[in-house]
Amino acid sequence: MTGATAPPTTSAFRRPTKPPPPAFAIWGTIGFIAVTLLFAWDWRYGIGFSPAEIIENLGRRNPILEGARNLDWSTLASPTVIAGFVETFQMAAIATILGGIVALPLALLNSVTGAPNRTVYVLVKNFNSFIRAIPDLIYAVFFVAAIGRGAMPGILALFFLSVAVIAKLTSDIVDGIDPGPIESARASGATHTQMLRTAVLPQILPGYTSFALYTFEINLRGSAVLGFVGAGGIGQVFNNYYQRGWFDRLAAVVVGFFVVVFIVDRVSIAVRKRLL
Amino acid sequence: MITFEHASVTYPGGVQALKDVSLTLEEGEFVVIVGLSGAGKSTLIRAVNGLVPLTSGTCRVGDQVVDPTDKRAIRALRAEVGMIFQTHNLVKRTTVLNNVLMGRLHRTATWRTLLGTYTKEDVEIAMQALERVEIVEKAYVRASNLSGGQQQRVGIARALAQQPKVVLADEPTASLDPPTSHIVMRDLKRICRELNITMLVNLHFLDLARAYADRIVGLRAGELVYDGPGAEADETVFRDIYGRSLTADDVLEKQGTL
Amino acid sequence: MNGPTTDEQARQRLEEITRPEKPFNRFKWIVTAVLLVMFLGSSATVDVQLGQITALPERTVFYLGLMFGPPDLGEIPRATTAMIESLGMAWIGTMIGAALSFPLAFLAATNLFSKPIVFVARQILNLFRAVPEIVFLIMLLPVTGLTPVSVALALGISSIGTLGKLSAEVIEGIDHGPVEAADAAGGGRLQRIRWSVIPQVIPEIVALWLYRFEINIRNSAVAGAVGAGGIGTLLIRQISQLRDWAAAGTALAVMVILTLIVDTISGRVRRRIIRGPQRAVDIGADEDDDDGGGRTPKVPGPAPTTAGNGPLAPI
Repeated sequence: MTGATAPPTTSAFRRPTKPPPPAFAIWGTIGFIAVTLLFAWDWRYGIGFSPAEIIENLGRRNPILEGARNLDWSTLASPTVIAGFVETFQMAAIATILGGIVALPLALLNSVTGAPNRTVYVLVKNFNSFIRAIPDLIYAVFFVAAIGRGAMPGILALFFLSVAVIAKLTSDIVDGIDPGPIESARASGATHTQMLRTAVLPQILPGYTSFALYTFEINLRGSAVLGFVGAGGIGQVFNNYYQRGWFDRLAAVVVGFFVVVFIVDRVSIAVRKRLL
Repeated sequence: MITFEHASVTYPGGVQALKDVSLTLEEGEFVVIVGLSGAGKSTLIRAVNGLVPLTSGTCRVGDQVVDPTDKRAIRALRAEVGMIFQTHNLVKRTTVLNNVLMGRLHRTATWRTLLGTYTKEDVEIAMQALERVEIVEKAYVRASNLSGGQQQRVGIARALAQQPKVVLADEPTASLDPPTSHIVMRDLKRICRELNITMLVNLHFLDLARAYADRIVGLRAGELVYDGPGAEADETVFRDIYGRSLTADDVLEKQGTL
Repeated sequence: MNGPTTDEQARQRLEEITRPEKPFNRFKWIVTAVLLVMFLGSSATVDVQLGQITALPERTVFYLGLMFGPPDLGEIPRATTAMIESLGMAWIGTMIGAALSFPLAFLAATNLFSKPIVFVARQILNLFRAVPEIVFLIMLLPVTGLTPVSVALALGISSIGTLGKLSAEVIEGIDHGPVEAADAAGGGRLQRIRWSVIPQVIPEIVALWLYRFEINIRNSAVAGAVGAGGIGTLLIRQISQLRDWAAAGTALAVMVILTLIVDTISGRVRRRIIRGPQRAVDIGADEDDDDGGGRTPKVPGPAPTTAGNGPLAPI
């Protein structure tokens, strides 16, 4: 392919020069790289990210990986671990169901189609963004401090997480539905609420249910970290073993947790396919 | 039954869809509006139930003035005015019966709607409406599983479930094949007669309009250009309404005579 | 479908048709029953003291009062620095996840590779998705210590699964014309990907990275669980150790405000990347001359269309 010479052109047309890439692409790329460098650099506002250092440190003694090499399977049968798994499941179930119920009206009002007027739309949109801006771990810390340790603050944290995720994802599909039934509901003299229930809800129901199921998985995974601040669930066990350095047991629980999440993920995908 | 007085509609973009239309429809009349697309047919129909507000002039149904700004009054008025759409506008994911019950919303308490439970009487009315369009056996079938013609019958049943005095139909046959179009038009006409309902129907096809209309109203660029009995509307009249000579696209049966 | 010709016939037909019985919707009842059992069963057995529920409203109001009473303005610089550190972890983490997921996404696309390869690639992606961030973070602590770098790595590794899966979906949605053209020109598989696939998918994939960045900002709070820096660590220390509620309120406000600002910028860039330079379709600009055709005429009132909110992808 190399070394091919083109015959001299005799065409009367001037060949167009290759257009430069759009300014947005150039500045976007520069901005991307600049932001990455600024954050990676080791200075006041960077995190000091050095690949060389990481590779060098990979050779260090890693007690956790050593623990993972001789897993203590018997841990999985211990009552505290089983109780942790059960609690995680309970927390995720309660939070997803309550969160789903609360998220539905918030999702409807968070869309141009579903909001009765501009004011409600803007208010609900900002409210949802606010809820979404606070991480579940921070909700958990707050509620642990306010009402004490245990599953309750964990449920509350996961509840807010569920509301945020379900409302956001569902509201994105509300404005994309078939507007025909909305017009016919209005034409038959329905109130706004009746219109939402009869013309909008049946259309978003499959998506909404699918997002709720997906949120159940998110909640299962989320509960792993909440225990570190005293908000119950399997995370409490993780934290306990981590603090004591029982890495062989920790590794076994992590593997068990992974299997549980993986199974729930498969089941949920199967159910979601059935729904859509 | 329906009275337009100097009705005009100008859309936010500045397009004038209706220009000073005055028109009176009698009770039980079957009136067909013809005109090119963009002539203001849809606007005229939607002005009757306030889906499109008039910019000036008035529209009356019975002796009630259509006023979309008065939410309560307009809902009460819409309850008396059934509407049938070109694209059927059914909720495809739910049953035929649920779609027809949408016609009962105005008589249903909000809490009942939220729970999705309708009274026995409302279900009876919906079933009777389905019987009238001869599709009651599909009551518990999902709307998405019906053919276009069947979906349009459900659309008609939904309008009838309102027990309306007036029915508006916006190009009810536009998405149907010719034989089904005739069936739907025949059903509409029959229902109009049986229940003494005033009907206002938009049509594009001239042969359909002539075959079924008691009276034809022609619109061109938002202006009323013809108003007369259906039987009297001949080719010259249509040429006048369309502002051009007729083509094969203007008749339903392509080989039909006009 | 033949319509009745006489009233007599019509009446006869009506009598022949029987109304159907309401069918029993098994699926609906099973779903309802499962949900009820899950909710009631969990609520009845979960280890929650009644006192915690009854005290909730009062305590919440009380502590929110402490947090947002007189603000602790002196806390703003520290909170801002900590939040910038969190943003750094999230950004670097996202970039790590982007770099690692990029090749996997192609391997997981059914229109580019054969079934066995796609299957293996998808399972690898699922594996990364199923493990929570905190597990990766703990595994990394002996390597990089209690530092933001560990958090960035943990966020990066746990982003691989979702980013890879969503990117693979973008790749599967591409237009096949250019791929065939490259095939016809005799390109190998890598050349084909380089010249006909990547140019098509890069804008949407970059938009996915930004979306993941927004999520990682929230996920970076996981650093607080072990004390690896950022706003999460600061907030957790203020609330659970120091009980300095006024400072915590200020830090929380800084976190929420900066998160929302970065979200807004990122969301705008995403939309700009996907839509290209032209502005979103102006309401009422292009359809007003069309009245007929059954299209819904414009009605004054709330705007009928909305600016899309980026990819409709699950998190």
